[in-house]
Amino acid sequence: MASLLLRSGALKKCPNLKWSIASLSTTSSRLSDDVSKAVKQKEAPQITHDTALLNPEEIEQRKRLQGYITVDAQSNVAPITGQPEEHVKGRLVRIYEPAKNAMQSGTDNTGHWEMDFDTRERWENPLMGWCSSGDPLSNMKVQFSSKEEAIRHCEKNGWEWYIQESSFEKPFKPKSYGVNFSWNKRTRVSTK
Amino acid sequence: MSSHAIRAGTKQVRPILSTDRHEARQRVLNLYKAWYRQLPYIVKQYDIPKSVDSLKQKLREEFRKNDHLQDIRVIDMLVVKGQMELKETVNFWKQKGTFMSYFKDTVEPKPKDFLSKFLSGHN
Amino acid sequence: MASLLRQLARTVRPSLVRNGVCSTSVLYKHTESTEAPGETRPTVRKPDLLARSQLKDFGKYVAECLPKYIQKVQITAGDELELLIVPEGVLPVLQFLKDHHNAQFANITDITALDVPSREYRFELVYNLLSLRFNSRIRVKTYTDELTPIDSACDIYKGANWYEREVWDMYGVFFANHPDLRRILTDYGFEGHPQRKDFPLSGYVEVRYDDEKKRVVVEPLELAQEFRRFELSAPWEQFPNFRNAPPAAEEIKVEEKK
Repeated sequence: MASLLLRSGALKKCPNLKWSIASLSTTSSRLSDDVSKAVKQKEAPQITHDTALLNPEEIEQRKRLQGYITVDAQSNVAPITGQPEEHVKGRLVRIYEPAKNAMQSGTDNTGHWEMDFDTRERWENPLMGWCSSGDPLSNMKVQFSSKEEAIRHCEKNGWEWYIQESSFEKPFKPKSYGVNFSWNKRTRVSTK
Repeated sequence: MSSHAIRAGTKQVRPILSTDRHEARQRVLNLYKAWYRQLPYIVKQYDIPKSVDSLKQKLREEFRKNDHLQDIRVIDMLVVKGQMELKETVNFWKQKGTFMSYFKDTVEPKPKDFLSKFLSGHN
Repeated sequence: MASLLRQLARTVRPSLVRNGVCSTSVLYKHTESTEAPGETRPTVRKPDLLARSQLKDFGKYVAECLPKYIQKVQITAGDELELLIVPEGVLPVLQFLKDHHNAQFANITDITALDVPSREYRFELVYNLLSLRFNSRIRVKTYTDELTPIDSACDIYKGANWYEREVWDMYGVFFANHPDLRRILTDYGFEGHPQRKDFPLSGYVEVRYDDEKKRVVVEPLELAQEFRRFELSAPWEQFPNFRNAPPAAEEIKVEEKK
C-alpha cells in the first residue's frame, strides 16, 4: 500500500500533506531514506506459524524428511497395489512383441512390447450359453515401448514373467544362387 | 570395490513418513495398538457375529502377513492405508458388510490339487 | 490510511493505471481472425500467433525465474503453456505462480494424474492453473511413482484438497502434509487404485446381498459373460494427410545464464 502511494508520485500533487516517506512505511523495520544505509539493513527473520511451536526433535524430524533414505534398488510394490494375492503369486506374465496381422501388410500396430496374463478357465454359462470367466485379468494388456521396461514393471509388481521370442529379430541368413548346385550341402536342389 | 557393489543394490529416495526401520516399527506398533483398542467397540457398533477374540486373531493374522517386508516406504504406505481403514471404521462410515469383508467367509476355497479339481470339473 | 486514500483518489487514479501494469506480463484476449467469406469446409484450428508468442515469452520468463526446478517449457499445438518440473519443486513453483505479480495464477482449475506404466516414474501429475487477472492458463507437470511422495498443494491452494484426494484414490500417489488424505470416490473397503493401467475394467471383486448372512458380501469376481476385448488398433497409418502436422508440443528453448 505504502509503496504504491510512493511510486505513484501522488504525494507531490498534494502539497497539504506533511507526512514523510518514513511514516508511510508498513515494513517491520525502519528503512532509512539514505540509500547506502537502507541497502545494508536487513529485516528480521520471519517466524512461520507451523514451525514456531515445535520441539527441537520435531524440527530435526522435519529436516530429515526433506533429505533422502537408502532403500533396495529393486522395490516390490505388490503389497500396496491392492491386487488380491492369488493374482500376484499364481500368475505368469508373457512379455511379447505383437505380431503383424498375417492377412494384411500394414505394420502400424506393431513395434512395441506388450504384457499379457496366462489364460484361465472359461466355461459355458448354463442358462444362456455365454462364455463365462472368473478371471478379472483375462483381457489385461499393458503396452510398453521396450522389453526392459516390461521386465522392470513385472519385477516391481511381483509377477513371474517370461519373454516370448520376438518374430521380428530373426537372424537373416544370406543366401546365394550357387548353393542350389553345391555338391555336398543339403541346399542342392536336385541331382540331375 | 566392495562399496560400489553395495551401492549397486540400493538407491536414494525421498521418505514417506519414517526415515529408518525403528521409526517404521514404532508406527506399525502404534497402528496395531489403535486397532486393538477399537475392537470391542467394533463388535458392539457393527453388531457383527464375531467375538472380540476372533477379531484379535484376525488382526494378528493381517499384521503377520506383511512381517517379511524390508522396504521402509512400503511399510509406511501400508501403515497409511491401515490408518485410513481405521478412521473409516471408527467413524462408522463402513457398513457391516464392508467390515465383514475382511473375513471372506462366503468365499469357497478353490481346489488346488489335481483330484479335487478333477472332481469339481475344472481342468 | 483510508483517509489518505480518499484524499489522493481523484488525483492518483489515472497514474495508478499506468504504473500498475507491467509490460512483460500483459496477455490481452486476442480476437480470432475471421475466416475468408465463402469458406465452407471444416478447417483445422489456426494457431493464434500473438497468444503463442506472448505465452512463449512468459514461459521463458518463468524458466529464468526458477531455473532450479523447471526442466522443460513447452507450448502445445492448442496454444497452451506447459512447465515440466522436478517433483521436489512443486511447492516453490506453485507458490511462485500464485503470488508473483506478473503471474497471479490464483485459481487451481484441476489436478490430475496420468499413468504410463512403461516409464520408471509411472505417474505424471498435472496441475492446471488459471489467472483471472491476466486471463490466461498454465499447466504444471511433474512425475512420480507408487512410493515417492509429493508435497501437498493445500497450503497454497485450498481447492487442491479434493483433487489430491481423488489422485490418491484413483492412482495411489501419496501427498505429504495433506490435511485429510482419504478415499473420495471408491467404496469404503475398496482395495486397489482403479485408474491405473494394470487395474482391470471389471475390478477384482463383486458385491452382492446374501440372504443367509443378511448382509452385503464381497466375493471374487465371476462374470456370467466375460468382457470381450476387441483389437481396435488398425494396421494402417490412420492419418496420412497429417504426416506434416505440427507436433503435439513445441519446446521453448531457454537460454541458460552462465
